[in-house]
Amino acid sequence: MDLSFVLSLLVFSPLLGIIVLAFMPKTEEKTIKIVGFLATLPALVIAIGLYLHYLAGKALSDFSVAKDWITFGGLQGAEAGFWKVNYELGVSGFSMLLVLLTAVVATLAAIASIYIKKEWKGYFMLFLLLEIGMLGVFTAENLVLFFLFFEITLIPTFFLIGKWGYFEKEKAAYSFLIYNGLGSAVLLIVIMILFAKTGTTNIEMLTQMMNDPNVPLSGDLKLGLLIALLIAFGVKLPIFPLHSWMLRVHVQAPPSIVMIHSGILLKIGAYGLIRFGMGIFPEQFETLAVLLAILGVINLLYGAFLAFIQTDFKMVLAYSSISHMGIVLIGLAAMNEAGVQGAIFQVVSHGLISALLFFLVGAFYERTDTSLMENLGGMAKGMPIASGFLLAGALASLGLPGMSGFVSEFMAFLGLFEEMPWIAAVGCIGIIMTAVYLLRAVLGITYGQSHRDFTGVLDLKGVEFVPVVVLMALIILIGVIPSVLSSPLQATLETIMLGLGG
Amino acid sequence: MMENAWIIPLFPLLSFLILLLFGKRLKDASAYVGILLTLASLVYSLLVLFERFTEPTFKTSTEWLRIGDISLTAGFEVNQLNALMLVIVSLVSFLVHTYSKGYMHGDERFPVFYAYLGLFTFAMLGLVISPNLLQTYIFWELVGVGSFLLIGFYFYKEEAKAAAKKAFIMTRIGDVGLLIGMILLFWETKSFEYSEIFEAVEAGAVSTTMITLTAILIFIGAVGKSGQFPLHTWLPDAMEGPTPVSALIHAATMVAAGVYLVAALFPLFAASETALLTIAIIGAFTAIFAASIGLVQTDIKRVLAYSTVSQLGYMMLALGSAGYVAGVFHLMTHAFFKALLFLAAGSVIHAVHTQNIEEMGGLWKKLKLTAPLFLIGTLAISGVPLFSGFFSKDEILIAAWEGGHPVLFLLALAAAFMTAFYMFRLFFMVFTGEARTPMKNVHESPSMMTFPMIVLGVLAIIAGYVQTPLNHNLGDWLVDGNEALGHSHIEGPIWIMIAATVVSLAGIYLAYMIYYKRSIARNWLSGSGDTLHTILTNKYYIDEFYQMSVVAITKGISYFLRFIDVFLVEGIMKGVAGIVQGLGAAGSKLQTGQTQTYVTVAFVGMALLAVIFVLTGGYL
Repeated sequence: MDLSFVLSLLVFSPLLGIIVLAFMPKTEEKTIKIVGFLATLPALVIAIGLYLHYLAGKALSDFSVAKDWITFGGLQGAEAGFWKVNYELGVSGFSMLLVLLTAVVATLAAIASIYIKKEWKGYFMLFLLLEIGMLGVFTAENLVLFFLFFEITLIPTFFLIGKWGYFEKEKAAYSFLIYNGLGSAVLLIVIMILFAKTGTTNIEMLTQMMNDPNVPLSGDLKLGLLIALLIAFGVKLPIFPLHSWMLRVHVQAPPSIVMIHSGILLKIGAYGLIRFGMGIFPEQFETLAVLLAILGVINLLYGAFLAFIQTDFKMVLAYSSISHMGIVLIGLAAMNEAGVQGAIFQVVSHGLISALLFFLVGAFYERTDTSLMENLGGMAKGMPIASGFLLAGALASLGLPGMSGFVSEFMAFLGLFEEMPWIAAVGCIGIIMTAVYLLRAVLGITYGQSHRDFTGVLDLKGVEFVPVVVLMALIILIGVIPSVLSSPLQATLETIMLGLGG
Repeated sequence: MMENAWIIPLFPLLSFLILLLFGKRLKDASAYVGILLTLASLVYSLLVLFERFTEPTFKTSTEWLRIGDISLTAGFEVNQLNALMLVIVSLVSFLVHTYSKGYMHGDERFPVFYAYLGLFTFAMLGLVISPNLLQTYIFWELVGVGSFLLIGFYFYKEEAKAAAKKAFIMTRIGDVGLLIGMILLFWETKSFEYSEIFEAVEAGAVSTTMITLTAILIFIGAVGKSGQFPLHTWLPDAMEGPTPVSALIHAATMVAAGVYLVAALFPLFAASETALLTIAIIGAFTAIFAASIGLVQTDIKRVLAYSTVSQLGYMMLALGSAGYVAGVFHLMTHAFFKALLFLAAGSVIHAVHTQNIEEMGGLWKKLKLTAPLFLIGTLAISGVPLFSGFFSKDEILIAAWEGGHPVLFLLALAAAFMTAFYMFRLFFMVFTGEARTPMKNVHESPSMMTFPMIVLGVLAIIAGYVQTPLNHNLGDWLVDGNEALGHSHIEGPIWIMIAATVVSLAGIYLAYMIYYKRSIARNWLSGSGDTLHTILTNKYYIDEFYQMSVVAITKGISYFLRFIDVFLVEGIMKGVAGIVQGLGAAGSKLQTGQTQTYVTVAFVGMALLAVIFVLTGGYL
């Protein structure tokens, strides 16, 4: 059976929802929310289908699709597939997991959109457009297409933050746009140089060509391109000191969008670094390994120490994200199987955990109108279930074994200890600090005495259970049976290791 | 039986899950779920232990996680130590489950309490059958969470919140040591499996420096968990948890996990003189250090807590002096008599609703069962001959002496004196004399609470007879010809036993004279308000020292980084925004709206293009 239509269907399935929404009256709040939610389901079903297809032992390349799209005519080598930009989608084990993560988080974020108070129609149309962008980013097989989808994620996010966020939403939206815009400008330059020099933007071809001595790219140029990529994706991840925009976004964007932003959009940075940075420029990546390890440890510690003194729980989680992305860098810098696998695990794991935590922040905010810790306290009395999940989420985040965070953190450190034990040892301070700041924040909210009167505040109810239960179940599943992630990754890992020459 | 031993931890896990989901509906029946399921664990553990007496070690594992060529496994192992630990843990857990039915009666979150107990028991049982370091670490962290949740059970109390947080963080500091040690050891031996690590060490594949380094790092984990100096401060604070929890977690099982870890990795430690010496010194120092604080505490649970820290120090001293059997033996007897003491203390608290021993007195007449049981525990821990503690403590003292540590031996002997003194001080103040505050309605606890105490009371007396100077049954079985574990019994001069008895009786006599006879003033040694007394009541100001050093430094770094975040990083941000704005402004200046300008620019551009076209020969 020809399955090459599947990925296109996957990526563009939210379009159906956009079209339906376009014809709906904008006052029908309930129906719009239901349609918006339903529109995320086809992608989820297909993404699960991809995973089942893999489990059934069939090749993921069955889904690859390549169609002629843009040809730069009359140039030498055109017949051999050069000077063409095709419409190419495909998935590997790694990108399949990210597609699945995207589909899951998008559906759950659609449920979390119950907290959206106005203009639901516009909200969901942008939301679904954002989903198209994200799914496209992870399935694109050439850089131009990747870039296109990458840009598609920027615009809806900008509006979703700027319009549906909290008090300083415009400011947050603009700083988001400026930083990410500059990041993508740098990315575009890299893509254009690569295309001009090699005649292709196909990722696989590029990966192969870079090992070919006949390709007219000097080592210095490659290093320059890699550094440019590091900056472009470093904005996204974010890497210190390019992070300040993301703090604002985490505080100001509505909960559902923060779930997506922290859960998926930040991960594009990691995905790019692994797929393009490490994949296309393995040799140069190696020369930057120590730098990356140091940057990773800085991220880890910087985020952790700053999270320790925040007064707003959202800020704690925002700095926590910076800190946890440091672990991705640590794993990548190790450049061995354990490290890279740890980094990829961390990408997925943090996606789930941060989506859970930000959803819960939203649930608390909805009831108490605050996320400042000085106003909260003793919430476990009135909201025992929500508090329980919050604590469990925090434990997952601080790397408690039995949950996904531990497996990723452990592998990343295992990897780095083999290569750079001293840097890794310094990074271990982060493991302690993570426990310190998370317990300070979460116990500050749920334990002790209430600082305000919250009698009559209701616990989680109805559909609110769906995101927390699903996310927690996945977090524990990965923690207990990590092979659900690691086995699809082995092929990807082998390819990367081959590129790294060992 | 042994091949299915993996099921033992799953009973309490099932209890946890059932109570988490249906606890609200089950209400008081939750207790029976917990009790029955831990009873199942206990029965199965006993069967496994009996089988292990005759059968060889059983071990199995399967792949858990693949990382490239590395295969990490999960499984379980029933060796002598593990089989013994299974019984100790499931027995104490079962008794505490039973006891709590009475003690926690009427608590609003009764089912939650039992759920947490189930989680903890699961993790602890999982810990003691782990065949590799990684799995040990996994359960090691999970018992920490169980402990954390139960210390913070009264979550609305600020003290409980602080204590829970402190326990988690202090032990995590140790855990990082364990993690680093474990990872370094992995890269040396390419395995987390105990057996493979020992083989590599034995074959000399690991350098002595590396053995010492990893062993000490792993020991740091044990220091955190077992409340050894300098990471001991969380354990006394952990007394904020309900008393049955203190008996189970902070006396008998989890805090002994550090000792268990050193014992389980004993062949590694034994390969490094330096590592062993470190353990012995830390252990002996902690033993006397904590005992000295115990002399002046007035909270019944805190006295017992410092006593636990001190006794754990004893066990470490034993292991550090190559007394493998002595350490494990004391772990076992201590589990029984200290759990007994805590449960009896709980029974007292249950009766009089205070923990301050200054307010108690004369309870011997009123608590007819609790009082003699508490006395049994006190006699056992004081090392009075024929009680269990006497035999195990004797083994430790002999190990320290024969191990060539006379100074540490003297410290341990002094600690034994203090132990006898402060325990009898506690006993006399609580049970003899007259009540110092009016107490009404004081009556004995229900049978659900006294039954577990009786069981432990019996064990506190007889458990010592498995290893006496006359028979070495425990030692023979534990060591079983495994040279790495040392001798099944260390022969020592008889005077050590006499000395131990003398210091113990002297401690009791002094306590008797001061607190029963009152013929010696309480402040005979140090006038009240004296420096020494102040230092001891303030626990050597260790907490204050940490507050002023570690905590202050952490905060300082955080505020410094905030300064960077606000000025430097935001500065970059403003710079970037400024550039963009500048470009924007420049761009908008081009939009003058004057058609002439536009046309001029267009023509210039076209001309330029034409020139380039000609120069490049039409390439572009």
